[in-house]
Amino acid sequence: MYDWLLFLHVLAAFMVAATAVMYTAVALGASPGGPAIRVSDALWNVGGLGTLILGIWLALYVDGYEIWDGWILGAIAVWVIATGTGERARTELAEGKGGFTAVHWVRTVAVLGLLVLMVWKPGA
Amino acid sequence: MMPLAAIRPDDWNLPLFLHLAGAMTLVGVLLLVAVSLAGAGRGGSVATVRLGFRGLFFAALPAWILLRVTAEWLADKENLDEDPPGWIDIGYMTSDTTFLLLIAATVCAGVAARRAARDRPRGGGLNTAVVVLVAISLIAYVVAIWAMTTKPS
Repeated sequence: MYDWLLFLHVLAAFMVAATAVMYTAVALGASPGGPAIRVSDALWNVGGLGTLILGIWLALYVDGYEIWDGWILGAIAVWVIATGTGERARTELAEGKGGFTAVHWVRTVAVLGLLVLMVWKPGA
Repeated sequence: MMPLAAIRPDDWNLPLFLHLAGAMTLVGVLLLVAVSLAGAGRGGSVATVRLGFRGLFFAALPAWILLRVTAEWLADKENLDEDPPGWIDIGYMTSDTTFLLLIAATVCAGVAARRAARDRPRGGGLNTAVVVLVAISLIAYVVAIWAMTTKPS
C-alpha cells in the first residue's frame, strides 16, 4: 500500500510540474495551441488534488511523519500559494491579461519550493 | 504494520533534487511536444511545428542529460553503481532507450519544422512520428517513476 501511495503521489507531482513546464513555454512566447493548454489545466487539477490528498495520506500512514511536522505544514502552505497563483495564471491567460507572466513565475517558484521541501524535509 | 519514514544522508539531497527537476522538466516538455504536435495535425500552425523541435532540442535533451548525470551521481553516493539492484537497471534501461527515441524524435521534428516553413504547415507524417516516439518515451517514464518509487528488486 505504501509503495502505491508513494508512486501515485510522485506521479501527481510530475503532473503539477508538467503544467508549470507547459505554461513556461507560453510565458516564453510559444504558442502550443488550445489542446495543450487544456491538457495542462487538466494535469494541474488532477496533480494538485493528488499531491495534497496522497501527501496527507502518506503523512498519516508513515511512522515517523506527522501532519503537523513543520515541513509538511510548510508544504501545504506553499501548495495553497501554488494553487492560488495557478488559478490566476489560468484566468489571466484565458482573458489575455498582461499579468499572466508574473503570476506564472510565482507559481513556478512555488512548485520548485514544494520539490525542495519534499527532498530536504527540513526538521524531519 | 506502518512503514518507517525513510531517512537519507543530507548530501544525497542535492543530486536527488536535480534528478527530480530534470525528470519533471523532461516529462513536462515531452507532454507539451506530444499534445502540441497532435493538435498541429488538426489545423496547427508553422509555429506549433517549430515548437516541437525547439522543445525537444533546447529543453528535453538538456533535461535528459541532467537526469542521467545526476542518476550517476546518486548511484555513486549510494554505492549502487557496482552491483545495481533491479530498479536501477529499469532506470538505466529506460533512460538509455528513450535517449535514442528522443534523438530520433528531435531529428524528425527538425525536418518537419523545415518542411513546415517551406510548404507543409502541419508538418506531415513526420509530426505523427514525433508524437508516437514521444508517447512511447512518456509511457516508459511512467514505468521508470514506478520503479524509482516502489524499488522492486
